[in-house]
Amino acid sequence: MRSTKIMTTLLAACAVLVAPPPLAAHHSAAMFDDTKVVELSGTVKALQWTNPHVWLQVMVEDQGRATEWSFEGGSPNSLSRQGWRSTTFKPGDVVTVRLRPMKDGTAAGQFIGAKFDADGHTVGRWE
Amino acid sequence: MPRPVSAIRLAALALALGGTALTVDAVRAQPAAALPDWSGVWAMQGPTVFDGATVRPPDGRTGQPGVREFPPYNEEWEAIYRRNIELVREGNFPDPISVCGVPHGFPRIMNVPDVYEFAVTRDAVYILAENGPGIMRIYTDGRTHPPAEELWPTYTGASIGHWEGDTLVFSTISLKGASGNDVIVDRTGLVLSDSSRATTRMRKLDDSTIEAQMTIEDDKALTRPWQVTKRYSKQPRGTWAWDYSCGENNRNPVSASGKTLTLGPDGKPLDRVTE
Repeated sequence: MRSTKIMTTLLAACAVLVAPPPLAAHHSAAMFDDTKVVELSGTVKALQWTNPHVWLQVMVEDQGRATEWSFEGGSPNSLSRQGWRSTTFKPGDVVTVRLRPMKDGTAAGQFIGAKFDADGHTVGRWE
Repeated sequence: MPRPVSAIRLAALALALGGTALTVDAVRAQPAAALPDWSGVWAMQGPTVFDGATVRPPDGRTGQPGVREFPPYNEEWEAIYRRNIELVREGNFPDPISVCGVPHGFPRIMNVPDVYEFAVTRDAVYILAENGPGIMRIYTDGRTHPPAEELWPTYTGASIGHWEGDTLVFSTISLKGASGNDVIVDRTGLVLSDSSRATTRMRKLDDSTIEAQMTIEDDKALTRPWQVTKRYSKQPRGTWAWDYSCGENNRNPVSASGKTLTLGPDGKPLDRVTE
């Protein structure tokens, strides 16, 4: 796996102003910290294209140790209507993911958007 | 749009033409063209706040701490709502639909994300919510509500309706409400009781908008009827609604204590504290 670096950019100070509204979910979103937006770089392991939510699995390396992160998106139904496909993320893609982190600091978060290192194109919200 | 011919007018016409007796089936057999065209795929306007007219703050979203609406609750149910709002603030107000297989129920089925289809047939109208998925059946074949002894409380209750011109008017009774702790109205903590019932007027405002005006009554929870209006926008022609199975890969089950968990790809909780 290509070496990746962690690029955690906590924008907590201004996150209340910049954070877009949460995606519709089939569960309480209380586990996510909607006052923070974080960016992480890593290599895609898998995209679980399943209901009720898609999950993007990304390996993030920090100081030589790789950790698998889980990013929750909307339903494949709604995302497909927004132009996503089951192949939007492929294993090996190197991406920077923007997310709302879990409040308890575990390796997961709510997906906001992603930027692909290879050509700079973006998916989701990336303004 | 052609207006449906009422049974009275049909009967009068038959009598004028020679006194031919009309059977009930003949009266019901309105031509399909008389029914409004609600075809296509639709999406609810706005966020999943049930009563957008009273929500505070005005841009508040469900699940955000302190966001609330103002139904005409009596003192007892206002206290229940306030307790739920505190549970939302603490992150301990799980959504019952996170337990896969639990339907949204009515009136929440009128307030869900993703898309809808409204199937208008001669004898019934079906509200098909992709999210959930959810189905609401409204019988328009002239039947009455079943007698009380044949009913039991259910998530979407029992609905009968009729057409007043291009407006579907339907009555919904026999709802579970919050009696089983598995039906909410929205994630601010709104709930209704098992005495809740509603009259809904639903019509197409224009080619791209359908409106549902619900008048909700609840002898246990409300001091007066509560009117809530939801609107739905037509999606581009050719839009697909898809299969939706909550159980396919539910990585957010609810623990025994009511905490909504987040599972890793191996199915084990990622949460540092699970109870």
